[in-house]
Amino acid sequence: MQDEDRVLRVWTPIILRASVLTSAVLLILGLVAMALVTPGSYVARVHELQTRGRAAVRQTWGTLAAEALKGQPHAILMVGLLVLTLVPLGRVGFTFFLFLKERDLAFTLLTATVLFLLVVGVMLGRVG
Amino acid sequence: MLTIVGELLLLAVGAGFIGAISGLGGGVFIVPGLTVLGHIPIHVAIGASLISVVATSAGASAAFVRDGWTNLRVAMALEVATVSGAVIGASLAGVLQARMLELLFAAMMLVSAYFAASKHGEQLVLATSDPLAQRLQLSGVFPNGEGRLIPYGVRNLPGGAAIMVVAGLMSGMLGIGAGALKVVAMDSVMGLPLKVSSATSNFMIGVTAGAGALVFLSRGDVSVVIAAPVALGVTAGALVGSRVLMHANVQALRMVFVAIMLLIAVEMGWRAISGI
Repeated sequence: MQDEDRVLRVWTPIILRASVLTSAVLLILGLVAMALVTPGSYVARVHELQTRGRAAVRQTWGTLAAEALKGQPHAILMVGLLVLTLVPLGRVGFTFFLFLKERDLAFTLLTATVLFLLVVGVMLGRVG
Repeated sequence: MLTIVGELLLLAVGAGFIGAISGLGGGVFIVPGLTVLGHIPIHVAIGASLISVVATSAGASAAFVRDGWTNLRVAMALEVATVSGAVIGASLAGVLQARMLELLFAAMMLVSAYFAASKHGEQLVLATSDPLAQRLQLSGVFPNGEGRLIPYGVRNLPGGAAIMVVAGLMSGMLGIGAGALKVVAMDSVMGLPLKVSSATSNFMIGVTAGAGALVFLSRGDVSVVIAAPVALGVTAGALVGSRVLMHANVQALRMVFVAIMLLIAVEMGWRAISGI
């Protein structure tokens, strides 16, 4: 336990800080790109949201990936938000492998359950 | 564009700042801020708020983990409960009407205001853990500031986990960190020292809100144009707020926070009932 605790205390803050910094850079970059490359699209999107409601943002992963490949500025923003959301969750994956390596059965099962629940969450979101 | 981004940033910095110095987290203030002042649909406001909560937690918890205040094993044992709650809560939020969410938010604000107004006493440090906590090796040590490590025990994991499901549910459904409830579960129910409970709660909030955010993201309830400035602003505001908190006595402001929370509860409740 001492060994895995030491590894977690060293690596967890690094993973968390790196995710916040990377996403902050991407979000600032995306906002600047949106202002320069597609002027007017930001304001149009906000107004659409205010008038049409949540239906205005409904977007599938497929269309998003296609827009990201075309280098659309708002896709950069989505990548920034995904980095922010997924890296702390990736931390759970990191601890799962660490506990597996240390043969800590109880915590391997606990972290595996959390990972399973995250997958269930994505699936529920897709059908909802 | 600059005006809207500026307004959203200002709102988010303010929410992050007040959230940090009041100990309630930015989500409690950004969701009503976006819906009431920004006329943003509440589902989209909650999605943006959840992502900003992840950012705030990641930024704030790093130092606590490094310095040994966070009990990582307790956090990981309880994350099963909070993530279950968050996934259910975020999924429910998708099918609930905006007015129902506003009403639930108002009710949550009233309960939070009650807890913020009542004082809590310091708990004694437990000397030993109960059998389940011993088997899972949940006990830990915390630095006492004079270079010594103080050992502490842990009890009643199932009781703490039950409250954590509710905390996760609130987080995923309303876009908040629900840190206050997590601290109550660990401090009062599981007997952890208060500062260890706060640090561990802060760490868990990231994964809980992240699980909720993932549901909102995959459902398509996250607007990048709202969530991006909100995440940046709340993180910056929380950073400044936590610095101010270290050097100022904000206990005197407690009743001001309670008044703000009651105002938000009334405004959100009125919106829900009147349908504005």
